[in-house]
Amino acid sequence: MTPKWTVWLGGVLLAAVIAAALYFPALRRQVNKAKDLTEKTAEQARRELLPVAPVSTGDPMVKVKMFWGSRGQEGELMPVTVELPLSREPVLRAKQVLNTLLAGPVDAESRTLPPDAALLAFYILPDGTGVADFSDEIRTSIPSGIQSEQLAVESIVRTLESNVPQVLRLKILIHGQEADTLAGHVDLTQLFRVNAKDAAGTQLDNPSPPGSKLPAPIRKAVETMRKATKR
Amino acid sequence: MVLDPAHGGTDPGARGTEGITESDEVLQFATATKKALEARGFQVILTREGNDNPSFDDRSARANAQRGAVFITLHIASTGLTGTARVYVEPEVPASNNITGLIPWDRAQAPFLSLSRKLGDLVQQELSKRFKGSPDTLQTAPVRQLRTTAAPAIAVEISSVSVKERAELDRMVPGVAEAIARGLTDFRPTYVVPTIPVPGGSVQP
Repeated sequence: MTPKWTVWLGGVLLAAVIAAALYFPALRRQVNKAKDLTEKTAEQARRELLPVAPVSTGDPMVKVKMFWGSRGQEGELMPVTVELPLSREPVLRAKQVLNTLLAGPVDAESRTLPPDAALLAFYILPDGTGVADFSDEIRTSIPSGIQSEQLAVESIVRTLESNVPQVLRLKILIHGQEADTLAGHVDLTQLFRVNAKDAAGTQLDNPSPPGSKLPAPIRKAVETMRKATKR
Repeated sequence: MVLDPAHGGTDPGARGTEGITESDEVLQFATATKKALEARGFQVILTREGNDNPSFDDRSARANAQRGAVFITLHIASTGLTGTARVYVEPEVPASNNITGLIPWDRAQAPFLSLSRKLGDLVQQELSKRFKGSPDTLQTAPVRQLRTTAAPAIAVEISSVSVKERAELDRMVPGVAEAIARGLTDFRPTYVVPTIPVPGGSVQP
């Protein structure tokens, strides 16, 4: 004779199995629905990540000079005039011209930057220093060499110079970080002079006013040293 | 005389067809140039002899540690007209408001810039004589390796790793070695270690 509790247990387990069997199709429907939803958001996210030139229809069409590689002269740049809707706001304008530069010329041979590189961010500091942050591909996809890296940087600098006068000098970051070189050759630790109006040398040498960004104790020490040497 | 075969170790530099890498190929050029220079009575140090990768600063230090050194960094590009060679020097390095008479490491090239240009011109002339299609004058580019070097310093870049056959690059080796050795021989009598102007006198680096 089976004890009473085993009958009870058996009954409970049987009820659980029946309940699960009834619930399972509903659960599967829910999971499928959720999967569709996440797939959509992943696709959306990917689209949001893609560098889309911020073009607003309200911007006036302007003739801009883009500096791409010259076909005839290897290692030289050639200005190409294109018409673009361009914002008056300098940061937006810089993004627009750099995205156009990255998108490349009609003739792919004249590219100066790798097609898969993207501009992640651009901002302008109050002292006129532009900061351009590019995705990792600018380093990994560019043909390594002094000539090719120099051409890439020059094309960025000269395109900004001719279209965004507010940018006096440029700092190039890769994926938000300061890089030693672009792809093993051209120095990215320093600032590139964009605008000839930028006070010769002194600004580049020390982009911020002396001591402005230093912590207070160091600033004091610098001032003391300066006074001491004047004496 | 410090010769710097660029890259090495985990950093192959420019990569071309047929598995040609800048780091491998450049070592050949450096070894041949060393021989050509030694034949003319120069003392030559290589910044690397094998497949290792000293840091930019370690390489500069080889020249900065001695007085009266000359530094040449050798590169092979992945672009450019095959069979040509270009000389690069640093663009204008801003002078520092130096009060100590010491050369700041990150701007070590500044006092040597005019000497670098002179050396660069001489080497470029020799290269364009030997390699048709090379520029007649030297180029400027902010080459990271040059900035921290306290000596007349140039970068020589050869085109390119994208050759169809390795032999095309190998054929350039004796010409490049000879051009550098000649350029340096012409430069030697004009090389005087510059003085750094400081308030109340000048200091030699």
